[in-house]
Amino acid sequence: MTDYGMVIDLERCIGCNACAVSCSQENNVSLDKQWNRILTEGGDAMDTPEGSYPENGRDGTLSMNHLPLACQHCDNAPCVKVCPVNATYKRDDGIVEIDYDKCMGCRYCMSACPYNARVFNFDDPKTLPTDGTGNVEERKRGVVEKCTFCSHRLEEDLDPACTVACPADARIFGDLDDEESTASRYVEKYETEQLLDELETDPNTYYIRGEMSPGRTRSGNELEGTEKKDVGNPNGVATDGGDGQ
Amino acid sequence: MSSASDAGVVVPRFGTRGKAWLALLGVLIVAGLGAWAYQLQQGLAVTGMDNVFSWGLYIMLFVLFIGLSAGGLIISSAPKFFHSKRYDSLAALGVLLSLGCIVVAGLLILPDLGSPSRVTGFLTSPDPRSPMVWDFGIVLLYGLFNVGYLWLLTRRDLAKMGSRLAFGVEDTPAGRERDRKRAFWAAAIAMPLAVGLHSVTGWIFATQIGRGDWFNPLVAPMFIMKALVSGLALLLVTGILVDRFTRFRFPRELVPELGKLLGIFVAVHVVYLVAAERLPHAWAAHFEFWSITSAFLVGDTIHFWLWTLIGGVLPIALLAVPSLRRRIKAVFVASVAAIVGILFEGVYLIFTGYHDLNIDAAPGVTTGTDYTGLEADIWATTGSYTPTIVEVMVAVGLVAVGALIVTLGLRVVPIQPDDRTPVSAERDDTTATTADPVATDGGRRPEDEADAEVTGDA
Repeated sequence: MTDYGMVIDLERCIGCNACAVSCSQENNVSLDKQWNRILTEGGDAMDTPEGSYPENGRDGTLSMNHLPLACQHCDNAPCVKVCPVNATYKRDDGIVEIDYDKCMGCRYCMSACPYNARVFNFDDPKTLPTDGTGNVEERKRGVVEKCTFCSHRLEEDLDPACTVACPADARIFGDLDDEESTASRYVEKYETEQLLDELETDPNTYYIRGEMSPGRTRSGNELEGTEKKDVGNPNGVATDGGDGQ
Repeated sequence: MSSASDAGVVVPRFGTRGKAWLALLGVLIVAGLGAWAYQLQQGLAVTGMDNVFSWGLYIMLFVLFIGLSAGGLIISSAPKFFHSKRYDSLAALGVLLSLGCIVVAGLLILPDLGSPSRVTGFLTSPDPRSPMVWDFGIVLLYGLFNVGYLWLLTRRDLAKMGSRLAFGVEDTPAGRERDRKRAFWAAAIAMPLAVGLHSVTGWIFATQIGRGDWFNPLVAPMFIMKALVSGLALLLVTGILVDRFTRFRFPRELVPELGKLLGIFVAVHVVYLVAAERLPHAWAAHFEFWSITSAFLVGDTIHFWLWTLIGGVLPIALLAVPSLRRRIKAVFVASVAAIVGILFEGVYLIFTGYHDLNIDAAPGVTTGTDYTGLEADIWATTGSYTPTIVEVMVAVGLVAVGALIVTLGLRVVPIQPDDRTPVSAERDDTTATTADPVATDGGRRPEDEADAEVTGDA
């Protein structure tokens, strides 16, 4: 079995928003919403620290961190359990996906999701380019949508757009059922947390805090992490702009 | 006065005032339809909801009307279950009212949907895990039950007046006796059905871990209690108004009696259950005696105060004093206040769920409604909500549909046939005549007449 999951190393994340931008572009997310948000753990505004400025040398307490947040693809997904019409479902490979043809837009799943990962098309989506890139299914007004782990890219053996876009190698995508996958090894080796784990949603997204993982860099002659899968299989259609071909 | 053909129908024909009322309802319904058409064309962007505060006025009123639909059915079924005839004169009106309210509640879901045409998914691909599917089932069952129950209660009288709605049933003494037995069994079904309806609606919220105080085992009992409060209050309000404007007679001695019952319901709900809900939290979160006490007693939002003061303190004050309770006007005001309070309890519930985010770091959540260009701020870290005029018009239109159902019901269904006029309250009477020096023949004493005048104008 496959159980797709993501490990996000918060020690590596530099808060550049590249993953958020590439997500919106890849998935034609409307300009008034984001599937993938980069939150600032720190001050009251984005990219501001909390604490006090060092007035006399080293007495400052400023601290700031970034928390990328999208659908956590929970094993015990409340959104799946509340959907009255089976429009939201958990796939066998661990991805929580939405059938846009079934969704009637009751937004019960938005109440159910403790991460506020879901967004609703109150209006017609406004995308750039206007007609979208054609990579993903069109979502009309009146349905709920969210991160799909780029399931359309996985079909072509590509990593999700956010993972490819990350310049700091903070995102590792892989199969949590495969003990040899980098994602599984990092969950095993580093201190990870699942967000709001007290709610027992059991997300497939793990966050590394504390000791920094090596990302994909080499330690000695060994590649610690797998290579980014940004080159599609030769018979498929490249969805990353084609520069890997 | 009343001919055989309209015996028991409290509105034999619509007069000028009746026609004006119907015209008003018609205008409101048409305006509501227009607003809904506009919303369908523009999308839910014309409502006050966004990605943070994703349920608004429609769901708040859905919760209210589910509750309102309780009172009539309970007042008409509970006494029947205990073989009491005391409230017979209110039974049919109560069920009619329940029916109107449950229709409004069911219809309120439609404008809340982003893609209403797919509502058929409830039938074609339901997920049995979803509390909303449970609720869909029980609302449907409850609505159909109300239709059947109303027909069972009135079919012999429909037959007597030769209405086609009797569907071939004949008016015979034996048949009436059989129906009385059947009404007992229907009452036995009605009560668990009502308890189920309000609990399941409560569980829509109480099962949700992600929305603050929603995840609370007390929510379902609270829903049952608030259904008793608002349902009984609506029966009193409607009964008093229908008494004023039609041939219907609300037995005078029942007003203080039901008022007292309403007072008890309000006390259990607003005093006892709210205390039971708040005290453990206040105790656990604070250390000093007075900070525990103030955290327990002092609410934090305007909705909380509207609920507990208007919907709690005011009705209890009016209904606790026997001399006030005997005044129709006081009971009427207390009932209206109780309904307003319950409305704001629903508002309070929705706000406690959506105001705070579990993960509220900046910049927060994208609202999905505020994009005006590159400079737009589409982010929010707390939920806020004000209904738009479109939502209000749609909601008022749907409430008018409920009022129309009740009004037409009064015209068509014999809710108070001659042999069931207020005298019935005397039959198994034990307290009323001795406790309250009020005439029990449905006639009014002069000062009550004046009282009712004021009520009618209010």
